[in-house]
Amino acid sequence: MVKRIVDLRSDTVTKPTETMRAAMEGAEVGDDVLEHDPTAFHLESEMAKIMGKEAGLFVPSGTMANLISVLVHCESRGSEVILGHNSHIHIYENGGISTLGGVHPRTVKNNDDGTMDIDLIEAAIRDPKEEIVFPTTRLICLENTHCNHGGRCLSVEYTDRVGQIAKKHGLKLHIDGARIFNASVALGVPVDRLVQAADSVSVCLSKGLGAPVGSVIVGSNSFIVKARRLRKTLGGGMRQVGVLCAAALVALKENLPKLESDHKKARLLADGLNKIQGLRVDTSSVETNIIYVEIEEFSGTTAIKLCKDLEEYGILLMQTGLSRLRVALHHQISESDVQFALSCFQKAVNGVQNENGN
Amino acid sequence: MVTRTVDLRSDTVTKPTEAMRAAMATAEVDDDVLGYDPTVFRLETEMAKIMGKEAALFVPSGTMGNLISVLTHCDVRGSEVILGDNCHIFIYENGGISTIGGVHPRTVKNNSDGTMDLDLIEAAIRDPRGEIVYPTTRLICLENTHANSGGKCLSAEYTDQVGELAKKHDLKLHIDGARIFNSSVALGVPVDRLVRAADSVSVCLSKGIGAPIGSIIVGSKSFIAKARRLRKTLGGGMRQVGVIAAAALVALQENVGKLESDHKKARLLADGLNEMKGLRVDPVETNIVYVEIEEGLHISAGKIVKNLEERGILVMDVSPSRIRIVLHHQISASDVQYALSCFQHAVKGGQSENGN
Repeated sequence: MVKRIVDLRSDTVTKPTETMRAAMEGAEVGDDVLEHDPTAFHLESEMAKIMGKEAGLFVPSGTMANLISVLVHCESRGSEVILGHNSHIHIYENGGISTLGGVHPRTVKNNDDGTMDIDLIEAAIRDPKEEIVFPTTRLICLENTHCNHGGRCLSVEYTDRVGQIAKKHGLKLHIDGARIFNASVALGVPVDRLVQAADSVSVCLSKGLGAPVGSVIVGSNSFIVKARRLRKTLGGGMRQVGVLCAAALVALKENLPKLESDHKKARLLADGLNKIQGLRVDTSSVETNIIYVEIEEFSGTTAIKLCKDLEEYGILLMQTGLSRLRVALHHQISESDVQFALSCFQKAVNGVQNENGN
Repeated sequence: MVTRTVDLRSDTVTKPTEAMRAAMATAEVDDDVLGYDPTVFRLETEMAKIMGKEAALFVPSGTMGNLISVLTHCDVRGSEVILGDNCHIFIYENGGISTIGGVHPRTVKNNSDGTMDLDLIEAAIRDPRGEIVYPTTRLICLENTHANSGGKCLSAEYTDQVGELAKKHDLKLHIDGARIFNSSVALGVPVDRLVRAADSVSVCLSKGIGAPIGSIIVGSKSFIAKARRLRKTLGGGMRQVGVIAAAALVALQENVGKLESDHKKARLLADGLNEMKGLRVDPVETNIVYVEIEEGLHISAGKIVKNLEERGILVMDVSPSRIRIVLHHQISASDVQYALSCFQHAVKGGQSENGN
């Protein structure tokens, strides 16, 4: 029996559409290592223009995009990078900036809204006078939208202020903009304005934008030249990569306009979930396409159990704590999927309550 | 005016065929990081079987295939790897095993046939008794076919001998098998037999096999589990990667059978070039041809390359007097003849300039 699957684990699960597949099939390609694959060139130029930077570079993943960006900004031995204690780079990228790149991380507390206090960032910058015992701070990283903090948006004002701090101290600013388009749409700020203060940005094409593979790094010409070389060193130099870039170009065109409706669906789902006795959602913090669901103690269920129960209905979620779930909306989740998910959540939670005689 | 282009710079220039493009468009996919993509799973399972190893991992490039393999075998700080002084990992991979992986290279001279003398390999293995000043040797790397030596094949016997040496000293053996299928075909040895002694092999799908992107690492289950994690760390964890794995599956089916004819074309080209006054061609075993420009010709490799380019023939000058040519399935026999006539023109130019 074919079960209806509603995959809410992540926006990375998006599958290529018919138009993307057709584009991949007909893509003009070349050897992107020996010269420049024409479709990759087209995508990279397009992305640079959209983001208001000089150049772009296609890479296989967001992890590589961040890794390259940090390592290029911190190319001297003995470098340190300031980043959020709960940022994706620090938590979910295998510590690669250190284990592979030799860069030392200096974390600053992420607030619930994804920001770090400006004064705490400044306090974390190493005083060059004590360099005999200190590494050298070279880079600040922001994350927009902030994944672990519910897909919250960093405002353009905040980003500019961090940019000013960076400039004041001779540091670079990198934005992990895996979901930067979600931020731009939710804030109503053009994306190039949003990242104006940044020296580099990594942007995922394979998340909400729905391409099958890849991310793009944008930055200055000289930065991207170094990034291209490091990409080769890390093993990200692909040959006829235009086949993937063609899908990404379609994704940019087709799915950018759909992000707003992903946010609407998220709000709908969040409101509905919050109404279910036994679940709690901080609906005011749902700004884009990510929802964190707290499971109340009295509900009698746990994140693992609820995930399992919902899986039987065909609803796939991510467990992020003993009593916490994450839900991510994307363009391949319909409104009727949202309603279906809500009713399954209701059934699953009620079912447990009935079991426990509630 | 549209010039006919005959791209002999590398077998990496192969473009996806109609069948590959169709396969990419219809590929069954899923998130290969959150779970697994069914098409890449099929490819990895198939490759492991073909190579006679327990498991396999798809990676974006041969460079990543080798980097992951070296770093996984040498996952303890203070490791050293023995490899050829003229091998691809040492010369053309940006020194990544050291700059990214912290592994120390110990080179041993590559002979002109791509091998390293067994006694020299053994002599390069660090004596553990000297560990206070030595790094620890953990790995030996071979390259088959050996690119810089002209696509030369390492025999199964030689590979086995190096494998025995590795075992004797408790080292691992990795084969950079970017063109391992070329070797297998040229030697008439099944590929799994050829790499039997190896703990891991990296195999390119984007070279002679003609897929648009990617390589495969094969090895034991536990090795591949570690490799998968390191692949993620390096940034090679791709999502709906089945779109390119589908092309690779077609490539395996369509193009392994064509490698023998690539070798024939290479020999044809080599013989033709060797007959030209002023050119000398190294012996050809697979799909790579090195052409030496003899001193008497008084024309540089760079000049010949430029001259050929004007006629649409693309080749690579690797030194002022040396040109590399690589054959692949998208070069026809008529392309080979055309290339020969263009070379003749280019060389005659040099000869007539010098009154030969």
